[in-house]
Amino acid sequence: MNIDIKLNNVEKIAEQIRKDSIWMSTRAGTGHLGPALSIADIMAVLYGRIMKYNPKDPSWPDRDRFILSKGHGCLALYSVLAQCGYFDRALLGEFCSKLDTMLPGHPERKLPGVEANTGSLGHGIAIGIGMAMAGRLANKDYRVFVITGDGELQEGSNWEAAMAAAHHKLDNLVVIVDRNKLQLGDFTENISQLEPLAKKWDSFGWAVKVIDGHNIKEITDVLSSIPLTRGKPSAIIASTIKSKGLKFAENKVEWHYKVLTEQQYKEIKDELSLEELAYE
Amino acid sequence: MSKIQTKSTRVAFAEALSEVGRSNSKVVTIAADSQSRYGEFVREFPERSFNVGIAEQTMIGVASGFALSGYIPVVTSYANFLAFRAIEQIRVDVATESLNVKMVGTDTGFSSQWLGFTHLALEDMGAISSLPNIAIIDPADAVETFEATKAIFDYDGPVYMRIRGRKAEPILPIKDRKFEIGKAQILKPGKDVLIIACGSSVYDSLQAAEILKDKNIDAMVVNMATIRPIDEKALSDLIPSFTKVITVECHNIRGGLGSTIAEFISERGINTQLLRMGVKERFGMAGSDEMLKQAFSLDGQGIAQRAEKFLNEKCGR
Ligand SMILES: Cc1ncc(C[n+]2csc(CCOP(=O)(O)OP(=O)(O)O)c2C)c(N)n1
Repeated sequence: MNIDIKLNNVEKIAEQIRKDSIWMSTRAGTGHLGPALSIADIMAVLYGRIMKYNPKDPSWPDRDRFILSKGHGCLALYSVLAQCGYFDRALLGEFCSKLDTMLPGHPERKLPGVEANTGSLGHGIAIGIGMAMAGRLANKDYRVFVITGDGELQEGSNWEAAMAAAHHKLDNLVVIVDRNKLQLGDFTENISQLEPLAKKWDSFGWAVKVIDGHNIKEITDVLSSIPLTRGKPSAIIASTIKSKGLKFAENKVEWHYKVLTEQQYKEIKDELSLEELAYE
Repeated sequence: MSKIQTKSTRVAFAEALSEVGRSNSKVVTIAADSQSRYGEFVREFPERSFNVGIAEQTMIGVASGFALSGYIPVVTSYANFLAFRAIEQIRVDVATESLNVKMVGTDTGFSSQWLGFTHLALEDMGAISSLPNIAIIDPADAVETFEATKAIFDYDGPVYMRIRGRKAEPILPIKDRKFEIGKAQILKPGKDVLIIACGSSVYDSLQAAEILKDKNIDAMVVNMATIRPIDEKALSDLIPSFTKVITVECHNIRGGLGSTIAEFISERGINTQLLRMGVKERFGMAGSDEMLKQAFSLDGQGIAQRAEKFLNEKCGR
């Protein structure tokens, strides 16, 4: 069960994800900040309200599984796992700043709570299918949640997996697309058009819902009604804003892999009530 | 030594590519998302610049189609997503037919730093070298990257060139630089041990040679920028004069420079002992490139220390 009662305030979790992400990446001088900020609200709802898990027993067989297929958004994952109590918060200070850190620029399973090594795009859905099939085989009722980027969907592997998941009627599998409309170099529609995206998932045999990925109520409602359709995997297209919460960076392509300078951090520190950067 | 100049190999590649693009209208670039690796080429020749989205396999397929239509396509990506994600397309579409596709893997060795093992490219040459027909080049610095970029377009056939990141790196403090595909270059003469290096390890090997000099060890340093076709003439001229040979590469010791030299020595029956420095039986990990080179004893100090120990070892028989 989601045992940590501190987590009931989902807005607070989301806010903390944003603060931690900014803090970690500024300290390290590296990291994919924009991609983490766009999924903060979704992550907060998943870990705060939807998923069952036990931070004291990360490999509890009945837990819901979470895979961050867009592994570069890991700042958000690290923060939420720390908030859940998977590890001591102090570890966040190691993000990309200690040799062989448990918190590298893409998530690895050596960190408690991380279910799959990601960072190479287009792997998460297939791994999720395996976990969903394994759950069914073992008569378990856990569910598998996968977050993908939207640009990530240009990788063909996702669509091979999408076909297979629908064929196998995996209604314990949920894919949430972080539809922030940007990828590394430009807007998705300028590079390789994704639209009509909902129709694509629908035609691949998935139950589809388009939501506002920053509206806690909408996210909660849709994730509380899984499976959206019995016998079908669920695809949730979450409309989001890359770098959401960092006004000057929102919706800007260059903030894919850019971090604040110490000066910029100082300037927004009070407004966002951020922690001291303090390097020990 | 005078002040070391620095430059990024990615910048050098982009600069040379623009030059090539101006003189050869058959050159086209195909990107998988970011086009920044192609620099000015994209702005100068938008009609010859294509982007297929985050789809490396498709990128190689499209390049093959262009090559089969008389063009000279160049593709780039993080080396792992090129050499591993698209390996089957490289094998079936490019390598079997020796198509004239120029493949440039970036952020190789330790240069993707904190991005971790998914991005650290330490096995890319192993993947590519398992396939016939593809030339493999690992330039030592930005100067050589510039020359090599021009050279690969004068070479008819598939090439895999591995370069590094955006970070400015030291340029070798060597006056007479020559680059020719398939040719080794002696950068420092020496008689006690032969160090053969490629990529960024060339600079570190030169540093190691300096350190060894203080210990009265006179190391020869050879830049083996082309791993395939390997410079057999240089190897047969040089190796028999040494009882100890060392290879150094920011790559797994399998499938790259070390393996190639090991095969050469044993197949020729040359009586010499080889130490392969590189990464052994493990994946990469997150760290700055300095930290990582140090951790794997591939910085100047580490190379020198291991070389000294190796020279003191008795050759077993
Ligand atoms: C297989 C693969 N190719 C390329 C990359 C490099 N890369 C990292 S993030 C990224 C863009 C991802 O865009 P999107 O999925 O839209 O995620 P966003 O950051 O916009 O949330 C790319 C191309 C990668 N990590 N893996």
